[in-house]
Amino acid sequence: MKERSDTVLEVDSVVTRFGEQTVHNGVSFTLQRGTLTALIGGSGTGKSVLLREIIGLQRPTDGRICLLGTDVWRDSEDQLNAMRRRFGMMFQDGALFSSMTVAQNVAVPLLEHSRVPPDLLDPLVKLRLAQAGLGPDAAEKMPSELSGGMRKRAAIARALALEPEVVFLDEPTSGLDPTTARAFDQLVRSLVDDLDITVFLVTHDLDTLLTVVDRIIVLHGGKVLADGTIDQILQSDNEWIKSYFSVRTMIEPHDEPVS
Amino acid sequence: MSSGDDDGQRDPSVAPNAVLVPQGADAAVLQLTGSWRLSFLERITTQLSPLKLPPKVIVDGSKIAEIDSAGALALLEYLESAGESRAQMMGFAQNELRIVEQVLKRLDSARAPTAHHSERIVEMIGRRGIEVGHGVIGDVNFLGATVAGLAHGVLRPHSLRVRELAVQFEQVCLNAIPVVALVTLLIGVVFTYLLGLQAEQFGANIFVVDGVGIGMTREFAPIIVAVIVAGRSGAAFTAQLGAMKLTEETDAIRTLGLSPMDVLVLPRVIALMVAMPLLVFIGDLMSLSGAIVVADSMLDVTPTTFIARLRDGLDISHPLVGLAKAPVFALVIAVIGCRMGMSVERDTRAVGMATTSTVVQSIVSVILLDAAFAVFFQELGI
Repeated sequence: MKERSDTVLEVDSVVTRFGEQTVHNGVSFTLQRGTLTALIGGSGTGKSVLLREIIGLQRPTDGRICLLGTDVWRDSEDQLNAMRRRFGMMFQDGALFSSMTVAQNVAVPLLEHSRVPPDLLDPLVKLRLAQAGLGPDAAEKMPSELSGGMRKRAAIARALALEPEVVFLDEPTSGLDPTTARAFDQLVRSLVDDLDITVFLVTHDLDTLLTVVDRIIVLHGGKVLADGTIDQILQSDNEWIKSYFSVRTMIEPHDEPVS
Repeated sequence: MSSGDDDGQRDPSVAPNAVLVPQGADAAVLQLTGSWRLSFLERITTQLSPLKLPPKVIVDGSKIAEIDSAGALALLEYLESAGESRAQMMGFAQNELRIVEQVLKRLDSARAPTAHHSERIVEMIGRRGIEVGHGVIGDVNFLGATVAGLAHGVLRPHSLRVRELAVQFEQVCLNAIPVVALVTLLIGVVFTYLLGLQAEQFGANIFVVDGVGIGMTREFAPIIVAVIVAGRSGAAFTAQLGAMKLTEETDAIRTLGLSPMDVLVLPRVIALMVAMPLLVFIGDLMSLSGAIVVADSMLDVTPTTFIARLRDGLDISHPLVGLAKAPVFALVIAVIGCRMGMSVERDTRAVGMATTSTVVQSIVSVILLDAAFAVFFQELGI
C-alpha cells in the first residue's frame, strides 16, 4: 500500500554548452525512489553543473529534466516552487546563512514553507539536528564557530527540514577526515534506510562508493559512460573507469562490498 | 502493496485524525488515521491536545496513511508531555515503525532546553566599549606598521610595486574624477546661492566671492572629497582585502615569501595619498566654476569680476591648507580600509560588517581630524 511512484528523477538527453565548450552531450538517466545513487566523473566533467541543472539553478542548453513529476525547465515558477519544498540540497561548503545560528538556519525552511505550531518548532529543529548527527548544544552556535564536518551536518539538517523526498548532496565527504567521512557515509545511508529518502550525491570518495552507495553513474566525455552497482562498475573494462578505481585496488584488493 | 495508487499517498487531502477508544477503566487505544505529515502539524496538535489519556495507552497505527518524522515527533512529544512515554505502538508498517523509533531515540535531544543567553544592557555597553577600544588600538597599530612600510619604501624606492600602484591609482583617482567633479560643482552652486541670498540683502554681492573661495577651497572641497573617497575607495579596499582573506589569498601571499603589507596595503595607501590632493584640486576648480555661474546669473557678478575679486580676496594659503589636509585624510582612510579588510575572519558576514565599519570610521575620523586641523592652523595663524 505504501509504495510510491518509482521514478523520482528523469534526466533526458541533456546538453550543456559554455561557448565553444561542450560539457554534456546527451546525458540521460533515471533515478529510482529509495536508492542511494552516486554521480562520479573526472574534474571538469560537469557533475556539479548537472546537479545545478537538476535542481533548477542553471539552465541546460538542451534536453529535459523531470524532478518529482515537474519539468524543471518548462513548468511554471509556481509549480517549481511547490516542487522545491519536496527536495533538499546540501551545497559543498554548507552554504549556511552566516548571520544566523545553526538553529535559525534549520528553522528558515520550516518558518517559510510550513505552519509548524510554535511549541513544536524548537523540538523539530533539534530533531533535525539529531537526525543529522548534531547535539542540541550545536543549535545556538554560529556557522563560523563550526568545524567543516559540523557545518556539513548542519547543512544536511537544513536540507532535511521539510521532510524532503529527495536529497541532493554535493561532495558530502570532501574536506573531512576519514573517520568523520565514514560517519557521514553512515548518516547518508540512514537517510535512505530509516527515513525513506532518495539520495543523489556527487562524490570523489572511493570509500563512499565502495561501502554505502547502491548505484553509480559515471559521467565521462559528456555522456553517461557506465551505470550500475559498484560490482558492475568494477567489472567494466573501460580504461577510464579502471584507472579511477585502480588507486584503490593498488592499496588493498577489493573486498566484498558491504551491501 | 501495489505502486498503482502512489499519488494517493501524497494526497494532502487525507487529514490526520486521532480518536481515543476506551478499553475498560484505565486503558484506551489511540487510533490514528490520515496523513501524519509535516504539512499537517497544526492539525495534528489540535487533534491531540484535547484528548484525556488514561494511564495505559496503546497507539494503533494500522489505519494511518503515512507518517514522517515531524508527525512522529508531534505524536511522541504529546505522549511524553502527557506522561505516556512508554505507550505501546501497534499496527504500524515496518518503515513507519522505523521512522517512529528513530524519532523516539532522538526525543531527549529534541526536547533539550535551549540555553538562551540574553545580554543585559550594562554587559552590552561594556562589550561594545572593549570592542571599540580594541578597534582603535588595532587601527593605531596598523597605522604604525604602514608608516614604517612607507618609510621603508621611500628609502628603497625600487621595492615599491609600480604596476600595482598604477592599477590602484587608476581606480582611486582617475575613475573617481567624474563623481568628485559633479558633487563639488553642485555644492559650489548651492553654497553660492545660499551665501548670495544673505549677501544680496546688504548689497554685499561681491563678498560672496571671498566666502565661496575660502569656504570651498579650505574646508568643503577636502571634506566632501574625503567623504566620497571613504565611501568609494575605503569601502572597496575593505571588500577587496576581506574577500582575499576569505579565500586565503593573503595567506598564500605570505607563504610565497611576500608581505601583504608590501603587495596589497602600500600600493593602496600611496595611490590614495597621491590621488586625494589631485581630487581636492579638481574639487576646488569645479566648485568655483559652479560659483561663477550662479554669481553671474543671480548676483550680477560677471566672471571677470569674480576672478579679479578672487585674486584679491582669496589668499593662496587657503587652497594650500585644503590641499595639505588631503594626503592626511587619504592616509587615514586607506589605513582604516586596509586594516578592516585584513582583520576579516573566515566568515562571509564579516566582510559586510567590516565594510560598513570602514565607512563609518573613515568619515568620523576625517571630521575629527578636520576639527583638529582647524585649531592647529588657527594657533599657527595661517
